[in-house]
Amino acid sequence: MTPPPAERRWGAEQRTREKELLARLAALAPDDPTRQAIRDELVVMHLPLAEHLARRYRNRGESLEDLVQVATVGLIKAVDRFDPTRGNELATYATPTILGEIKRHFRDRTWALSVPRRLQELHSRVTIATDALTQSLGRSPTVRELAEHLGVGEEDILDALEVRHAYATNPLDPPEGDDDPPRSVADSLGQVDAALEAIEERETLRPLLAALPDRERRIIELRFFENKSQSQIAEELGISQMHVSRLLARTLTELRAGLAAA
Amino acid sequence: MSDDVTLTFAADTTNVRLARTVAAAMAARADLPIDQLEDVRLAVDEAVSQLILDARPGSTITCAFALDGGDLDVKVSALTRSGDLPATDTFSWTVLRALCDSVTAHSADLVVTLHLHVVRHIAVDA
Repeated sequence: MTPPPAERRWGAEQRTREKELLARLAALAPDDPTRQAIRDELVVMHLPLAEHLARRYRNRGESLEDLVQVATVGLIKAVDRFDPTRGNELATYATPTILGEIKRHFRDRTWALSVPRRLQELHSRVTIATDALTQSLGRSPTVRELAEHLGVGEEDILDALEVRHAYATNPLDPPEGDDDPPRSVADSLGQVDAALEAIEERETLRPLLAALPDRERRIIELRFFENKSQSQIAEELGISQMHVSRLLARTLTELRAGLAAA
Repeated sequence: MSDDVTLTFAADTTNVRLARTVAAAMAARADLPIDQLEDVRLAVDEAVSQLILDARPGSTITCAFALDGGDLDVKVSALTRSGDLPATDTFSWTVLRALCDSVTAHSADLVVTLHLHVVRHIAVDA
């Protein structure tokens, strides 16, 4: 991605300063109190980048002020996660992170506008209650148990579950790519390979699976090749069961389309 | 009163959502836990999508849901072009097998039926 004008005007002086700050940050312990000041200086240095990217999303119904704020959150995340030993410039690294933050903001807003408030609230209560009851019962709860627990009708629970599948994205989901992706462990790889060997379209399927984000691929492997339940997968990956179920549905649809197109 | 429900709709992918919604409602009536309910939703989606691929143009898909104690029985059928049973060495079949306790396929006079059976995995007070 081409750096924006503000970045291109950067002189040698600023580059040197950035390198120096990053080197100092790398040398400090994670809990060192002086980190904050260095981090702030790096963020301030790159604010023109955040503003520039935010401006691209003007005239979409959000004030520039709000957009800059969202972009700044992305910039702070980028500064915190940036690893100078990878040989990238901070600005190069930060650009997709900032854009991701802005796009997520728009997605969340769309969700908030399109799903009736009653269902949004219910959906969030059902998501939380499902995981809480799974903990206390030692298994996934039924619709009846959820309805009793929340003091609502069974139809309400079904509506809330439906909402989960009716919209492409959901603000309750943890942001994608924010955590280290789960890794397949060696012995489960053997299991997955054996299962794939039995599938006739494996040569088409393999690249489709490989192209999935790590978490989605892992969910497919655990559910279909290792026969784990959705609750077990939720626990293993540290996300809600409703999130697992939505990612499963979405990924299956993608895979089906990919196989049909082959 | 019978708890059975039969749904018939045009063999078009835009209707898959109807089948999914009814599947979830029937799974709730069978008192399946949420993770099994979501599996039933996925399984019916998969079975219907698979049959639509081979369905005769202008034909319909029928989903017959039946409750039997804690079990849910779903028969998805379509008038197909080939009358061929779905291959069992496919990803789609692997998915159905993982989502249901048993999956079988039958074919008679070009009507192919996928028979999904789901057993409630937990004991629930009635």
